[in-house]
Amino acid sequence: MTYLMRRLAFMFGVLVAVTFLAFSATNVIGDPLFNVVGFYASVDCDAVIAGEIEDVVGTIAGTGIGECERVIEAREKYHLDDSLPVRYGRWIVGMAQGDFGDSYANQMPVSTILAERLPKSVLLMGVSMVVALGVSIPWSVAAAYRANQPFDRASVAAGFGLLAIPGFALAIILFYFFIVRWQIFPSRFMDDNLFSRLHSLVLPAASLGLPLAAVYQRLLRTDLITTLQEDFVITAKAKGLSDRRIMFRHVLRPSMFGMITVVGLNMSALIGGTIIIEQIFSIPGFGRELYVSAIRDDITVVLAGVTVLATAFVVINTIVDLLYSYLDPRVRRAG
Amino acid sequence: MAGALLTVQDLRVGFLTEQGLVRAVEGVSFDLEPGQTLGVVGESGSGKSVTAKALMNLLPSYAQVGGTVDFDGRDMFAMAASREKHFWGVEMTMVFQDPMTSLNPVKKVGEQIAESLRVHLGRSRRDALAEAGDLLEQVGIPEPGARLTQYPHELSGGLRQRVVIAMALACGPRLLIADEPTTALDVTVQKHILDLLDDLRRARGMAMILITHDLGVVKGRADEVMVMYAGHTMEEAPTTTLFAEMRHPYTEALLETIPRIDTPSHTRLVPIPGRPPEVIEVLDGCPFAPRCRYSIARCLTNQPDLTSHGAGHLCACHAPVGTPSGTQARSANESAGTTATGLDMDQFTRNVPVADPGQSGAEG
Amino acid sequence: MPADPNEHTTPSSRTAKYWRKESHVNVAHAARMAEPPAEPDADRAAPRRLGIIFWVAIGWILLVTTAAIVAPLLPIADPEQIGIGPRASGPTWDQWFGTDGNGRDMFSRTIWGARVSLMVGFFSIVAGFLVGGTMGIVSGYRRGWIDLVLGFVTYVMLSFPLLVLFLLVILLFGQGLWIVTGALSIVVIPSVARLARAITIVFAEREFVAAARLLGATNRRVMVREILPNVLIPMSALLLLGLGLTIVAEGGLAYLGLSVADGFSWGKMIQMGAGLRTLQTAPWVAFFPIGAMFLTVLSLNLAGDRLRQYFDIRELGIGSR
Repeated sequence: MTYLMRRLAFMFGVLVAVTFLAFSATNVIGDPLFNVVGFYASVDCDAVIAGEIEDVVGTIAGTGIGECERVIEAREKYHLDDSLPVRYGRWIVGMAQGDFGDSYANQMPVSTILAERLPKSVLLMGVSMVVALGVSIPWSVAAAYRANQPFDRASVAAGFGLLAIPGFALAIILFYFFIVRWQIFPSRFMDDNLFSRLHSLVLPAASLGLPLAAVYQRLLRTDLITTLQEDFVITAKAKGLSDRRIMFRHVLRPSMFGMITVVGLNMSALIGGTIIIEQIFSIPGFGRELYVSAIRDDITVVLAGVTVLATAFVVINTIVDLLYSYLDPRVRRAG
Repeated sequence: MAGALLTVQDLRVGFLTEQGLVRAVEGVSFDLEPGQTLGVVGESGSGKSVTAKALMNLLPSYAQVGGTVDFDGRDMFAMAASREKHFWGVEMTMVFQDPMTSLNPVKKVGEQIAESLRVHLGRSRRDALAEAGDLLEQVGIPEPGARLTQYPHELSGGLRQRVVIAMALACGPRLLIADEPTTALDVTVQKHILDLLDDLRRARGMAMILITHDLGVVKGRADEVMVMYAGHTMEEAPTTTLFAEMRHPYTEALLETIPRIDTPSHTRLVPIPGRPPEVIEVLDGCPFAPRCRYSIARCLTNQPDLTSHGAGHLCACHAPVGTPSGTQARSANESAGTTATGLDMDQFTRNVPVADPGQSGAEG
Repeated sequence: MPADPNEHTTPSSRTAKYWRKESHVNVAHAARMAEPPAEPDADRAAPRRLGIIFWVAIGWILLVTTAAIVAPLLPIADPEQIGIGPRASGPTWDQWFGTDGNGRDMFSRTIWGARVSLMVGFFSIVAGFLVGGTMGIVSGYRRGWIDLVLGFVTYVMLSFPLLVLFLLVILLFGQGLWIVTGALSIVVIPSVARLARAITIVFAEREFVAAARLLGATNRRVMVREILPNVLIPMSALLLLGLGLTIVAEGGLAYLGLSVADGFSWGKMIQMGAGLRTLQTAPWVAFFPIGAMFLTVLSLNLAGDRLRQYFDIRELGIGSR
């Protein structure tokens, strides 16, 4: 199991690197102090309190020296006087203990925001994945079963077409026809019960899932055709098995490698897509929250988002690695 | 014959390609009685594997098949047309050439054997696996219980071929087709596998079609031997008769390519010059004529029919070996230095590559 | 003509007559003909010619590119001039693509939109290939710890949520053309690096590389003179596929208002047309730039895929993100 250990160490290193990068970047972009005390962040409060300079901002606003005490307080509360690595260390330890900090913008705990927003995004991504796999697997099997026959040729052309439509453009097309013209789906996210949530997610999930399905179908079809030419398929036929059984029990599994790899690597594209799609269909999910927070310099929320998403990516790709050995026992030895 | 398990009559297989119709099998007929072994011998491209695939209903959909195949009173092509579910893999099964590629790499050995039992005989998963263990024991695999949960890549080539045989035996077939079952294996393992097949056949009273390019393999194992070339049957006889008094020059040539214990050491093995013809061509004459040292002018214009040369002995040749016409033809060719097809007689004593007769013909 | 059985004529004329070619299909044997024969798999066989679809796709790409480059010289309306036609009117003879809510000419805007889309897409794919290609060649050739480090960097890039990355970069450095281009190039760097590494490993083991090293060539010289040309040819096929990718990515960024601040791209035009009101009254405002982007990306994919087959490269992940 040294392979697994190495793999886990690698993944852990990636997470540390991603979070550190994000932490440094956010702390350089936005002065975290600004989010708490507004324009006072720009006042040199040390000097004001020492009486070296006059508090110009405070004078104009008519509040006086009291504001600078708030600034000092905030600095201490958020440990803003420490160096970057120290603050990163404190933050990551807090994260590990489940303390995501408070949003600078509205003082809500980030964990509360996550709990409210994340499930909707996860549901959207899950349904999109179901759409992508649910469409691409039967599609690939049907195309590979009669490779280069009319259905396969038509599906290659359809795949090219679908691949050329960006998810957000597909979303707008679907939005126009199904919501504006025919009014089959609600224009806003309905959060009443699971059914209404799923109903609201049909179009968003189709926008995210169908272009992915085209990617997966291309890969899986090619791999299925390759596997179908293997000798063991002839053996299976000689055993008198039905075509359907051969396809699903013998051919599908060893053909899934390429697709599974791309499913894992595609996760960040899916996440990026989610942010735009949530915007288009007004879904109050985590992607949208992340986007808004980033624009507002709400550092704690952005950092929590980066951490959650990067962790999800790393975990999913580790699962993909483990799936390999399930799909092909020969990999287990090779490591 | 009334008692025949399998009767094949005038079997023809063609593949339509861009270059034209490839005639892989041209009018092959034979009978096989229960419990008997038929050896089918020929070089690669002789149509022997295509014959096996036609019998196993494994030909691609674009293959054109003609003739009749009767299995114990059932019309096999009619069964194929009606998608008979429990015939192939049950009554008639097959062992393939390369055990390295003929097993599914991602399924456990036990599952692969049990699958037929579950699909065809409706066994439960547990029963099927237990039976699979018994089958592994029957094919001489040590520790069968442990092997059930192993994957093919964890087994050696010889063991894998035993697994393939166990798979073929699972549903108790009445006919087993073994297509070059030992070609891909180590020489040391080959004899074990062949003996195993022979023992199993005897013990189970099943019939077997043993396909090989090696006449030595069928000697002592097959009851009858059919020699094929370019899709045609060249000679067919009971095994002992064939080796005692072979009539066809091709059979003789095949025999000269295998090493024998009774010849002095350092005797050169004589390869057959040239290659089998591209079977796209429709032949007026005998397909072997361009490579035959007995060939006479008539071989080029008239395709010889199978004629009787004694009890159960058929041979398609205008100048059969060991007959006056054959002896005369060969000595005439030897004195001329070249055969009727322009083959240099020296090639039978020197190991020189020769031009493909098919290509030289295409120029004209 | 029946010949005398004992006659020995010249061998060549004999064989020529002997191997008569059969031209017709024997009907009796064809009785069981089931289906037309399967053709050889089009995916595997490297095509000898690029084919008509490739040239049509290239034609469209060239047309769009040329129009974008010479847009200021074309006799078309000023894309920013308000009220050049009636507001939000459909396609007419004067305004082929209709007008938007401000009465601006959509045809002219679609051509001008191509400028930003293509320019950002092109420069970012080139930057991505330069950086990713160098990373891939170095790590594939040197292996060892450099490979490990670069592999790690690649993976970090892959796992960083891309949109957050864009946001951070843009908030940090602003929305200049080169900033956006650099940020977008990160989309393709991991894929390009992986592919270049895979190809390099194949070539690094070839004899000519070993020969160059035996002759005392420096590592850098071997990489530049021996390996780079061999990596470049197959990679060039992927340039077109990658360009499609970056154009789409720019569109997504622009949709969120994160792309180049000056001017407008197709993505920004789509965003402008995607409001509920605009979709209700003037759907063409969104649909023409969508159509332009679709045709362009489709052409890039078709041409790129054809080239990939032509050079016989296996898909190694690019074009999938």
